[in-house]
Amino acid sequence: MWKRPWGYAEGWSVCIGLFLTGLLLQWTLGKVEVDIYRYPVNIIVGAGYLFILATLSLFRKKMPVVQWLAGIPAAFTSLVSLLVVVILMGLTRQVSPEADLSSIGGVARLGFMQMTVSWPFLLLFLYFITVLGLVTLRRLIRFRKKDTGFICNHLGLFIALTAAVLGSGDLQRLRMTVQTETTEWRAMNRQNNLVELPLAIELKSFAIEEYPPKLLIVDNISGQPLPEKTPQNLVVEDIPLQGNILDWEITVTRFLPWAASYFQKDTVHFVEFHSVGATSAVYVEVYHHKNNIRKEGWVSSGNHFFPYASLKLTETESLVMPEREPKRFTSEVNVYTEKGGMKEATIDVNKPLSVDGWKIYQVSYDETKGKWSTVSVFELVRDPWMPLVYTGIILMLAGAFFLFITAPTKKEKR
Amino acid sequence: MTWNSFIYFALPAVLCWVVGAWLAFKAGKEKTATGWTISGLIIFALFITGMWISLERPPLRTMGETRLWYSFFLPVAGLFTYSRWRYNWILSFSTVMAIVFICINLLKPEIHNKALMPALQSPWFAPHVIVYIFAYALLGAAAVIACWFLLPANRPKLDEGIMSLSDNLVYVGTAFLTIGMLFGALWAKEAWGHYWSWDPKETWAAATWLGYLGYIHFRLHQRTAYGKALGILLFSFLLLQICWFGVNYLPSAQGTSIHVYN
Repeated sequence: MWKRPWGYAEGWSVCIGLFLTGLLLQWTLGKVEVDIYRYPVNIIVGAGYLFILATLSLFRKKMPVVQWLAGIPAAFTSLVSLLVVVILMGLTRQVSPEADLSSIGGVARLGFMQMTVSWPFLLLFLYFITVLGLVTLRRLIRFRKKDTGFICNHLGLFIALTAAVLGSGDLQRLRMTVQTETTEWRAMNRQNNLVELPLAIELKSFAIEEYPPKLLIVDNISGQPLPEKTPQNLVVEDIPLQGNILDWEITVTRFLPWAASYFQKDTVHFVEFHSVGATSAVYVEVYHHKNNIRKEGWVSSGNHFFPYASLKLTETESLVMPEREPKRFTSEVNVYTEKGGMKEATIDVNKPLSVDGWKIYQVSYDETKGKWSTVSVFELVRDPWMPLVYTGIILMLAGAFFLFITAPTKKEKR
Repeated sequence: MTWNSFIYFALPAVLCWVVGAWLAFKAGKEKTATGWTISGLIIFALFITGMWISLERPPLRTMGETRLWYSFFLPVAGLFTYSRWRYNWILSFSTVMAIVFICINLLKPEIHNKALMPALQSPWFAPHVIVYIFAYALLGAAAVIACWFLLPANRPKLDEGIMSLSDNLVYVGTAFLTIGMLFGALWAKEAWGHYWSWDPKETWAAATWLGYLGYIHFRLHQRTAYGKALGILLFSFLLLQICWFGVNYLPSAQGTSIHVYN
């Protein structure tokens, strides 16, 4: 080992060395503080890094180590080592990189629970992109047309990974909770600090569209839907409706999508109620043919304002309506910018709004109130490095296309 | 269209595929073999389309639904490989694999909820999952080949011809894996604000991807180490299994993955 030319043994040694160094650093210093790598530090570090890679590549003929780093044994071993730490990450429950685990001793001190900010991961990752960068530059320097696919794959991955890492310090992801008919310009960052923004959101209204209600039979003790492994349900879309769950024949005779409950002689009843706070209720008749049991009554999911109602079938089973699942939730907003601009928009899940370099996402609402939530929760993201990451992704997509069309030519060549 | 009518589509489709697979062994019957396989695919596609319409969403959410696509794409991958490289046994192979997944769906039907949470209602949803499933089908085929030729009895038969088939499947499979992953990243940016969050499913997708890249790079340099290469291939397929459904059961992923929908 360590005799030229280097091969796999040296590759494994370097990776194991980096991993052990990483563990040692982690044990003594704790997790990597990535916060300092924001503009302009990340630009300077990135430029310096690229300069070093380029210089090494240009003079690689004189440096056997660099030649080795730009070869397959180094690529393979660094790739497998990165794979090992990714598998470790997959096997360990991850917590947010911002969380403070310094009080927990033992295994947590190895950093595996916050793998992305741990020294072993970052050292191996840095080594991986360095090898990737040198490999890419080697081919770029003596570019030939048949290398196009290779360059797309490798350069694309290099750009995407480098930009993602360097840009992570500049990435801002904030959570903003806005009450209806109010305007908000402050949002919470990942460390739960309030940040003032150069833009403000006025929430004009918030609306949820729900899926039709479902009926389930649950176990009275465990509360689990039945049958245990493959729960069955009945979707209430149109009435009259008839269906079976287990051995029960269920007939829905009334369906009130807007309902309010009241008590009368210890039993709960529902009436139509077209106003704030309404819940959904159905009137059902059930019949068990085998045991000749007949029951009827109201079943409702209830909500923040009205209690739920279930129909007890036997000592062990009840018919219930779980809360209706949201199909769509949207906010009608006015967004004001510092320069005095105003944008009127509807923000929907999967349809973020772009304003002044920020993207505004619909993420949540007051789930305890569901449909009647008077707040909407947005995520605001500013990611100035995104165009560069996307450039890398587009190159990789082109590279995947090359991988696809060049696969068969191998057969003839060998 | 419901799962109750699945068998009326699955049986004729399988019949067509079996005929196609059988004809592939006969010299000069390439076109008829292709024709039968395509007919089977059309029948199967009719069922998927019917489900799509009646569920009012693409049938891609539950495990049973993704198995449906898997049974569809295995013959597609088989036909693709057959028409490109003319391996006469590949259609039999893809047919058998498709039958296995059809049987699982017939014997263990799952309840197929109509609801689709808002984050999944995106134009990216269908391409992301379909591309992935197609990659899984190709890489599944490569894994079965690896298994077969790693058996001590078959080991001596392992030659460059078999390895180039395995390479072809992995190259095309990895291309689709890459596209699926990148589509996922682009979608995640639109839905959750960031293209990569190291969610357990993403972590295992990265591991799977690195595994196959490992195979490709190993093959470039160690041409004759067939056994080791196939070993890497099998290990990568194990990672793929963890990514596909293993994360649903993995203790480290419980309650933290946004990719668990069932």
